[in-house]
Amino acid sequence: MAKEAVLESVYEKEELLTGCQAVSHAVRLADVDVIAAYPIRPYTEVMDYISKLIADGKFDAEYIVADSEHSQFEIVKHAASVGARAFAGSSGTGWMYGFEAIVVTATDRLPVVAMVGNRALDDPGAFGVEHNDALSVRDLGWLLVWAATAQEALDTTLIAYRVAEDPKVAMPCAVALDGAFLTHSQHMVKVPTVQAAKRFLPPYNLGSRRLHPDNPISIAPQVNEDWLMEIRRQNFEATKRAKGIIYQAYKEFNEVFKTNYEQPFFEEYMTEDAEAVLLGLGTISMPAKSAVRRLREKGKKVGFVRLRWFRPFPTEELRSCLSRFKGIGVVDRDLSYGSPDLGGVVFNEVRSCLYPLEEHPRVVNFIAGLGGREISIDDAVMMYEQSLRATKEPSDARVTWVGVRE
Amino acid sequence: MSFIPEEQIKKKLFKGVHDVPGEELYTSGHRTCQGCESALVMRQFVKAAGPRTVATGSTGCMYVANTSYMTTPWVVPWMHTQLGAGGSSAVGMAAGLRAMMRKGKITNEKINVISFCGDIGGGDMGLSGISGALQTDYDLLIILYDNESAANTDIQATGLTTWGAQTTFTPTGTKHRVMQKRWKKNVAAMLAVGHPTVKYVATACATFPPLDFMNKVTKALETGGPTFIHSLDPCPKGWDYHPRYSHEVGELAIKSGIFPLYEIANGVVTYNYDARKNRIPVKEYLLNQGRFAHFTNAETDFVQSMVDEMWEEWELPGILPVKSSLKVST
Amino acid sequence: MVASLEPLIKGIEVNYRGIFQKNLAKRIGGDIVYVAHLGGKTGFSNGRYSDAPERNGIPCKYFAYVSSVSEEELEAICGAKMDISQADVSVVLDDAMVKGVEPWGWHGIRPINEKVREGGTLLVVSKKKPEELLKFVARQPFNYNIAILPGDSSFAGLWVYKDDLTDVRVLGAIAAIDPDIIHIQQVEEYVAKKYGANRVQAVRDAYNSLIIKEVTPQEGIDWPHQIPELPKWHEFKEGIAVPAVERRFSLGPRGQSRNLHFKRGTTKSLRPVVRFDLCVKCTLCWIECPDECFDPTPDGLYDVHYEYCTGCGKCAEVCPVKECIIMVDELRFDNDASPWKAYKENPVSYIKWAEEKKGQERIIHQVVTGRGLEVKTVENPIPPKVKE
Repeated sequence: MAKEAVLESVYEKEELLTGCQAVSHAVRLADVDVIAAYPIRPYTEVMDYISKLIADGKFDAEYIVADSEHSQFEIVKHAASVGARAFAGSSGTGWMYGFEAIVVTATDRLPVVAMVGNRALDDPGAFGVEHNDALSVRDLGWLLVWAATAQEALDTTLIAYRVAEDPKVAMPCAVALDGAFLTHSQHMVKVPTVQAAKRFLPPYNLGSRRLHPDNPISIAPQVNEDWLMEIRRQNFEATKRAKGIIYQAYKEFNEVFKTNYEQPFFEEYMTEDAEAVLLGLGTISMPAKSAVRRLREKGKKVGFVRLRWFRPFPTEELRSCLSRFKGIGVVDRDLSYGSPDLGGVVFNEVRSCLYPLEEHPRVVNFIAGLGGREISIDDAVMMYEQSLRATKEPSDARVTWVGVRE
Repeated sequence: MSFIPEEQIKKKLFKGVHDVPGEELYTSGHRTCQGCESALVMRQFVKAAGPRTVATGSTGCMYVANTSYMTTPWVVPWMHTQLGAGGSSAVGMAAGLRAMMRKGKITNEKINVISFCGDIGGGDMGLSGISGALQTDYDLLIILYDNESAANTDIQATGLTTWGAQTTFTPTGTKHRVMQKRWKKNVAAMLAVGHPTVKYVATACATFPPLDFMNKVTKALETGGPTFIHSLDPCPKGWDYHPRYSHEVGELAIKSGIFPLYEIANGVVTYNYDARKNRIPVKEYLLNQGRFAHFTNAETDFVQSMVDEMWEEWELPGILPVKSSLKVST
Repeated sequence: MVASLEPLIKGIEVNYRGIFQKNLAKRIGGDIVYVAHLGGKTGFSNGRYSDAPERNGIPCKYFAYVSSVSEEELEAICGAKMDISQADVSVVLDDAMVKGVEPWGWHGIRPINEKVREGGTLLVVSKKKPEELLKFVARQPFNYNIAILPGDSSFAGLWVYKDDLTDVRVLGAIAAIDPDIIHIQQVEEYVAKKYGANRVQAVRDAYNSLIIKEVTPQEGIDWPHQIPELPKWHEFKEGIAVPAVERRFSLGPRGQSRNLHFKRGTTKSLRPVVRFDLCVKCTLCWIECPDECFDPTPDGLYDVHYEYCTGCGKCAEVCPVKECIIMVDELRFDNDASPWKAYKENPVSYIKWAEEKKGQERIIHQVVTGRGLEVKTVENPIPPKVKE
């Protein structure tokens, strides 16, 4: 079969969609059973769009407008416990309001998929992107992945269900989209057919953990010190297994949709002979890639590494990738007050990942784009230059704030 | 939500104690106190509901005490839910089951969805979620088992603790005899009044009058839609009386009128014990309990006056705290 | 280095009934530390954390360590403990606990003397003789002592302290057992100062009247209860899901399925004895039981599953028939067999047996628990209603 024909058979149409709308389509294609909504910018549009799909009869699901994010995440957790595929989402402090429910969703091993439209945490109220909201689940068992385009948002949401629901994993997954830059910007997106989506994504089957009169079980009895370490260990092993399942899921996705996700965990851009690279999450790639092209034109050996999956963290893969470079500038759209070297979350994780190497690349950190502030191409160029300098000048500042008025 | 004729529901009620099924679906081997009335609420609600039931239990005594890990007293499927998730957990289960039944993913049948929460879960933290659940059109029942304290953390005051009671957060002292200065929240009525589409709301006590609670569970489940029952559960540990008298303390609460016993079915109020006509002095209820051992006449008189006001002055006695004298003038 | 200090450290545990003896046990644990401190020793005490939240009647534990080593060393060895590892003195505040203790699920019914070390002492507040108690206590491979402090179990509610001298009497008894833990002079000095000089006599009486008997490896019983083994992390189901109790019901003894891994029988100090011949089949004992211990029988009676009965006494209270259900001292029974079966096999001998067990003293709990117990004597038991 010719490639065009294959594409025709797996894609229904190409449509101009925002990141939120693209995720909505993925939710429809996954035949999700229960959706719980609660309004907060910028994730809200995903629910606007889903509710319209339902209202127009294009999608069949139970759709509940909850009274709070806490209820929203409890609803999907319990829907998942009776064997229904479930979806929710939030942003910023809304995500934090649901946090108790979010925590137990992971420890109950229920594979809910949630979209996080990244937003700065209050106070003061701010709508722009920061990554601290989604990053708050990094120690809880949640799988955590960032998309950078609307197409990737759609694809990743389908993949998220595939990975989260795999019986070897059974952990919830958060799909993060940068507020405004991805949630609201429109891109041309290829929308798969229902049949193709079905080919890729098997039905959700909780098996003997399903809460149903035909399968009488008790879930989450109270434990004392005799049990919790073993239960933690079970969950720990599950997140360890998730890595292999992610590779498998992308392989299957490539097979069905003829996509070319090579390394699922991160994307490398013009890194082959690079001396210095920037590394960041989500739409940071947009100015960073432009800057790479400009600097390459000037003969500078730079590249970009975009991390997709933050949990599970691709330790070995990223270590071997980054060991090829002399200088690494980690761009954090987040803050970790009082952390080692007062750096961002991603910076400290990347640095810790590189620690076992005998020869370390020099790692510097940029705190940039907080609260939705644009990261310009000039900002990116500056960060590249500083990262290149860092390969030669060890005295350079480890953490630099970019674009702050000073 | 279709209207179920009362006659049809009546047929399913227990007429006498010998009608009650012998089988237990919540069974022996739970870490509850001797004489625990909340355990009886668990036992009875699931007896009335039957085996085609899924249940969630919010954090509280009936979570921590009931299930100690690797063991359970539940025969029916049960899951823990968070303290404030009494309403939302029921919605989640009901929505999941409905979606899958509609789509043909599971067999289409009636499965009872029941969620229970304590007074701190249902009356304080979980109110918003229960309100949300009562606005849906799912068939679900929320049971608030009210032992008037955070009993699971060793007796702290909640929004539903009787005024003046000793708890570890509201001890009696040499300067302040009474530290619990909040009047008990009127939860069932609040929810009934605030959710006009709800077809069944009731208050109950597991042991008085006999069968009343179990039949209320049946009525709620048969009526359908979201329903709510608030049961008052005497707690020997926190209320401080000997466990062997649990049944008696509940009866005294109802007969003294401090806990109004009623049901509101399709908008019609029925008093299951008419405290307008028949009330014993509230002292008889209070002074049986160590938590009121510090009361003098001043405190018991105050409680009595509040109880009297509730039955004599409220527009809808025991339910709606609007006084006739404050009627909007024309 | 640290291990060599261990013999210098004395461990004391206080086994008590949840809530009813909570304040008492905490006071005893604290007072031991105070008295030890008075004698120039260091010490600290703690409750077994997993007992919280306590439930009425459940076996719970308070423990204390005292030593002449420095506080720093003591904490290094005994600090951050969830439970005591070995006890020089195991105090038992309710003698029914000698039948074993099961504080939570998957713990098993453990012997009361499980923590008593070689040469240590099991100190029981009881009106029974050592021999009577040893009929229930597990055999140990070494010699240890059993000591009886004569008295009733002191029960009180959460908000009341029942001041019946049990606390200071236990201190006097510990001083008699091992002056290296607390010395009688210091106990007397402490009690006089803290609780009043009029209480010193009670300390001295307890000290003098204590019956101590050595227990050899030949004494005691082979422990009948299995201690469950905790599975490894990969040996149990993921997702914190545990199987429900199997659905099973038929009329007759044990016809109802129950939680196999957590029986609640060690919660009770008294058990209900039923005169089936007097039963009017009103169902109240069964329907009001918060522990689902009554099994409906084919002849319309209700059998009792004593392994699960917590001894709350509600059934006796709601029973409308005089003398039909009576709460009786748990230590008068050596098994949990079905009473209905015994009654059906031989009604006459069962009733005779039941009346013997009941005896003539009726223990009545006062309404407010802080006020304790009352005992009434029944002069003329009701004659059997079945023919010989």
